[in-house]
Amino acid sequence: MSGSTASALYFVFALGGAGVYFLLPHGDRPRTMVGAILGLGALVGWFVVLAFGGLMGTGHTGYFYLFATIAVVAAARVVTHPRPVYSALYFVLVVIAVASLLVLQEAEFLAVALIIIYAGAILVTYLFVIMLASQGGSATYDRRAREPFLAVLAGFVLMAAIASHADAVPESVTDRPAQLASDSSAGVVADSNTLAIGQLVMTKYVVVLEVAGLLLLIAMVGAIALSRKKVPVESGYRPTEPVGEIGRKVEPF
Amino acid sequence: MSPVADYLILGSILFALGLVGFLSRRNLIVMFLSTEVMFQGVVVNAVAFARLHHHLEGQAFALFLLVIAAVEAGLALGMIVLLYRRRGTLDAEAWSIMRG
Repeated sequence: MSGSTASALYFVFALGGAGVYFLLPHGDRPRTMVGAILGLGALVGWFVVLAFGGLMGTGHTGYFYLFATIAVVAAARVVTHPRPVYSALYFVLVVIAVASLLVLQEAEFLAVALIIIYAGAILVTYLFVIMLASQGGSATYDRRAREPFLAVLAGFVLMAAIASHADAVPESVTDRPAQLASDSSAGVVADSNTLAIGQLVMTKYVVVLEVAGLLLLIAMVGAIALSRKKVPVESGYRPTEPVGEIGRKVEPF
Repeated sequence: MSPVADYLILGSILFALGLVGFLSRRNLIVMFLSTEVMFQGVVVNAVAFARLHHHLEGQAFALFLLVIAAVEAGLALGMIVLLYRRRGTLDAEAWSIMRG
């Protein structure tokens, strides 16, 4: 990655970070439009840098742009929407977009498993808890973010640190023979992604599979024990003053 | 340039967005939804590396990530319901002072 491409990428990330900062709930002064414009500008800038910086992979670029747009916009709404129900529904959109990207990456089994497990099971549990625990309307703690500037700064630094290593990834790796279509070590030719991944999980990672099953059993026992636990209701609890960011009186922007 | 650099950058964007949400939101449920967004970024990265290396171990890793996500969601939501029954709020700040 040349220096100019890297600086363009960092500029785009900073723009997106500013957009997320304005999109985060700020109490009674919502500046969603500013954040949306900045975020969309950052998204378009990111695609321009990808296209002209030589960062795009081969094939399916149109589909990549489409699903990456859906995934990033929906993820931004998950973390910034003031109402938790909408956050959960936008997360379904993130899952579906990521599953489509996995299909483009020749991971068909994982794409379907992602939709079944996330959109089918985990999200239903989240929505159930949200419905159980919502008091109608958005609460004060949903309408004001906690230290949004510092959080966006941390996220920006992390993203820049990861993306600066994207050019250290080699063009291609030939550390072992190709196993995507067929696995000769298992003796059976796997002609589909599902069959190949099943062979790998059932032979090389069979111990990990057992440990995963054990972990699920422990989690189930723990969840049942938690839900049966009797808790004292702390009456007279008063929420403290809504907490804002450092120097709420002084506008950082 | 690597053929999967675009997917790696997309994964880092999803991970960073989830991190921002986890750090800045005060609703316990939205905080854990943000960790799920971070999981999505990791899944994108793992599958991209699987395609780069031409073998399936990244995809197997992503499959076990799904197990961890399910375990985390079950336990975390059980604990959130417990905390909500205790104080009647989902605000994380309500638990800023922990007593035994």
